[in-house]
Amino acid sequence: MAGQPGVPFLEIEALRTREFIPAAKEALGDLIAEKGQAKLIRPVFNWAGRNSLFPLHWGLACCAIEFAAAFGARWDAERFGIVPRSTPRQCDLMIVNGTVTWKVAHKLITLYEQMPEPKWVIAMGNCATGGGPFRTAYSVVPGVDKLVPVDVYIAGCPPRPEALLDGILRLEQLIRERKE
Amino acid sequence: MQPEDLERALGPALGPTLVGVEPFVGFAGRLRFRREGALDVFRAVHGLGFAHLSLVGGIDWVDHREVFYVAWSDDARQYVLLSTEVPANDAHLESATPVWPSADWHERETWELVDISFDHHPDLRHLLTPDGYAFHPLLRSFKLHEPEELEVKTRHV
Ligand code: SF4
Repeated sequence: MAGQPGVPFLEIEALRTREFIPAAKEALGDLIAEKGQAKLIRPVFNWAGRNSLFPLHWGLACCAIEFAAAFGARWDAERFGIVPRSTPRQCDLMIVNGTVTWKVAHKLITLYEQMPEPKWVIAMGNCATGGGPFRTAYSVVPGVDKLVPVDVYIAGCPPRPEALLDGILRLEQLIRERKE
Repeated sequence: MQPEDLERALGPALGPTLVGVEPFVGFAGRLRFRREGALDVFRAVHGLGFAHLSLVGGIDWVDHREVFYVAWSDDARQYVLLSTEVPANDAHLESATPVWPSADWHERETWELVDISFDHHPDLRHLLTPDGYAFHPLLRSFKLHEPEELEVKTRHV
């Protein structure tokens, strides 16, 4: 929170747990009185949202292997607060990690529509970005942006887990700048 | 089981429906039949102990199409290959589902990919491609398309 315009800096380490909530309440209360609620709520909301992105836990094709590796012990994406959830109703991030066929397209849209707002989509790998090696095949959607709005594209076949983490951190940057 | 055994066992019952049995590497034989008596052939082959149907497929030979069935016998520990020809402009055949229920999905796949339809199939719908898909991708007349040409209705609500 430190360094964010309009968000108070609390000396968290100096506080015991019992004292934290009243102190935070007081600091926020002062700030709301000073700046107005509408101005304050967005940065706080964005700060909370970008540090606890919950991606949908599903795998479409080979990129899902790298997705799994990114959440394993070695790359440990959970240190960024990213926890895959198994139901779309608990998720705010859809990582499309593989080839999308026309057969699965309307299921993907259904899952996307079941996610609560605000929500983001990452197209992981060449398949999700533009159809990849199967672009002219008879059954493949040439890019998932034909179906749902995509915020971040990650190139590679497959992208390494570092690339996926970089994509998620860039998405966090986008969320930080979000205004409306 | 050898091709001659198959011919001896099935020949009298099937008559002209049976075109012939020839050797086929790794199989009990390759049995060709006329499509008009397809269901009799399936029943007779099933009666010989070939109770498990493991594959149905189709081939487009441009002037005609071929449907083939692969069945396995647990007693003989052998496969048998059945095949028949259908004309390209009238590609249909009796479904094998009354004899081998496992033919269901295989025939759906053959229908949508090679455009051979199966009479009296319980549920002839698209299996691998979406509903309303207008192409038969494994036909030799199918050309690679630009992705935009293949876009089909994607929502079925
Ligand atoms: S981009 Fe490459 S690795 Fe990823 S799903 Fe497509 S083919 Fe598989």
